[in-house]
Order: sequence, then C-alpha cells, then structure tokens
Amino acid sequence: MTEQQDKISFLLDEFSGDEQSRAVLDEIEGDVNLQYNMRRYQMIGQVMRHELPRHVNIDFTADVMAHINQIENPAMTDNSRVDIANRQSIWTWAVMKPFAGMAIAVSVAMISITLWQSSSVNSNSEPTSDQIVSIDQQKIDRLVSQSVQANAVVVSSSLHNGMRWKIDNNAPALQQKLNAYLVNHTEYSNSMQGLIPQARVAGFDAQN
Amino acid sequence: MGTNLLDAELVKRVQAGDKAAFDILVQKYQHKVVNLISRFVSDQTECYDIAQDAFIKAYRAIGNFRGDSQFYTWLYRIAANTAKNHLASRARKSPTYSVDVEDAEHFEGESGLKEYTTPENLLLTDEIEKTVFKAIEALPEDLKSAITLREIEGLSYEEIAEVMGCPIGTVRSRIFRARDAIDKELRPLLE
Repeated sequence: MTEQQDKISFLLDEFSGDEQSRAVLDEIEGDVNLQYNMRRYQMIGQVMRHELPRHVNIDFTADVMAHINQIENPAMTDNSRVDIANRQSIWTWAVMKPFAGMAIAVSVAMISITLWQSSSVNSNSEPTSDQIVSIDQQKIDRLVSQSVQANAVVVSSSLHNGMRWKIDNNAPALQQKLNAYLVNHTEYSNSMQGLIPQARVAGFDAQN
Repeated sequence: MGTNLLDAELVKRVQAGDKAAFDILVQKYQHKVVNLISRFVSDQTECYDIAQDAFIKAYRAIGNFRGDSQFYTWLYRIAANTAKNHLASRARKSPTYSVDVEDAEHFEGESGLKEYTTPENLLLTDEIEKTVFKAIEALPEDLKSAITLREIEGLSYEEIAEVMGCPIGTVRSRIFRARDAIDKELRPLLE
C-alpha cells in the first residue's frame, strides 16, 4: 500500500504520460481507496495554499457524478420510475381489457370450432351409431342366416347387475355374433364418439 | 508541467468515455472552482450549485475541448460564465416568494437544493485546516521544506532537488513521507 501511495504522490506532481504512469492512473481509477488517498493528498496542497472554501463539502464529487449519470441515463429516480411503471401498467390494462375479453371469446370459439371439426372428421372416418347398427345388422343377418339352435340363449334377470344373457356353448353362431358385437364395441369406444360419457354394457357369460 | 500532462491524460480518457477520469478532475478542481464562483456569488450554497452546473457543462462540452488551452483555464471560463449567467437570470427574476411566517423557518428558497453551508461543514473545514497545519508543524525540517516548495511554491522535483541540494529520488521520498504523515492525521476526519 505504501508503494502505491508513493506512486500516487509522484503521479500528482510528476505525471510524465509514459506507460508506467498511465498504469498507475489505471490502478487509481479502478480502486476507490486509492482515489480517496489521491483526494486527501490533493486536499493537503489545497489547505496549504488556502484554497479550501469556507464550507467543505466532501460529497460534492459524488453529487456531480450522480447528476452526470442521471443526465446520461435519463431513467429518473426510483420512485418516479415505479410511479410511471404503475401508470403504464394501469394504462395498458385499461386499453387492453376489451381486447383481452375479445381474445378469450375468440379462443373459446376457436376451440369449439376445432372440436366440432374434429368431431366431423371423426364422423367421416368412423361409422356413426346408425352405421354401426346397420353394420351390426348386416353381421347379425349374416349370422342369423346360419342356423341357430333354439333355446341357445337364456335371458336371466335374477342377477343383481341388470339383465344377463347366458349363452349356450353349443350355439357357436350366437357366440360368434356376440364376439363380433364386442369387437365392434371396442373399436367404437376407442373412437372420439366412444368418449362421450354414457353407459355401455356389453358382455356375455358362457353357459357350461 | 506534470499536472498539465496529467490533466491532458485525464481529458483524453474522459473524451474516450472514461467517467472515472472526470471524477478525478472534479476532485482536483472543485475547491478552486467554488472559490472562483464565490467571487461572484456570496452565498456558499449557491456557489456549490453553480459549481455543480459548471462541472456538468464541462463534462457535456469536453468532447469539443481540443487542448488549445490548459484544462483548468477552459474550466474556469465555463465556471465564470455559469456564475455570470446565474447572476443575470437572478436579476431578471425579482424575488416573488410568498412565504408564511410559520413556513419561513423551513423555506429553502428558489432552488430547494442540497444545503452545503451547514455548521457541520463549517466545522469540518476548520478542523481540516487545523489538522493539516498542525501536522506540517510537526514534520522534520527537510520534509517540511520539500512539501512547502512543492505545494506552495509550485516547484518541480528537479527544481526542489537543486534548491535542497539532494537527488530527485530523495525529493520524491521526502514529499511522499510528508504527505503520508499529514494524511495519517487527516484521514480520520474524512472517513
């Protein structure tokens, strides 16, 4: 530190502009303590020459630099900055509120249209319930055309969970028919329309 | 000569955008500028406000400073003009304040700027002067002579070496030791 102070003292009196003295100046600019040191050395000379004003203001340099910073960055004081930021946000919200409402309405409409369209697309690609019924009907007709034994199906209502059909294992045509129905149902329930909440119960018990 | 070269280097740095260099220039010349302005304006608070304006004007105009004159000559011209303009504008504006008696105690006048002329500042000035002169009195004679020849007479190290009959290195060492001894007493007042 003493070596640096000696360099500051020499720099104040005999700055030559060479590389060495420039390096010392760099060092001073980068170190607040060295700047204070330089300031006190300068003050000693000012006191000796009776150059000190009646009221010494040790914050003067800081005040000047703060003003310069304020001029260079006209970003105002913190309070006014917050105030203006608030005013801006209020103004922005006041202006943007109707647009925000419209944006939400448009979004809802868009989602509805998209869902409707996708539902239409699905309707095009997948059979409607009427079509399913008709397809089923074709299969059923095909199956019915095969010989189905009488009394192959026994409808029982004694069970707690609704009606059950007990299938006679000896009626393969009917089993095939019901299997076809189950396959058809599974495909349907995996589709968009199958997601619509409704109870679908399909099953059969094999009667041994 | 050294101080002029230092000013020129600092100006060059400010022109290149180095604000810390201007900080050093303000530190160096603030008291001279305030004293100059106090020849035009008696109120010390006004003096500091005008000095502040002068430094800000200097900072904004430093890009146009070509170094034809010395920096302090240029700065003094700005300070003197700022003080004169201040007086002229004050003369144009007659004091039209209407202050209630109850508010008069807290009235800060036209500017309402920072108060520089506080009793604390006055006391600080006295203490600084007393401390420095007391420390100088306590210095060994060779140190006292070296620092006096430098600070009051403005001699260069070479000239002091001739006067004192010693090498320049010795002059440098004596001046530094004198400053260091005074600084040890001064530092507690400014921290």
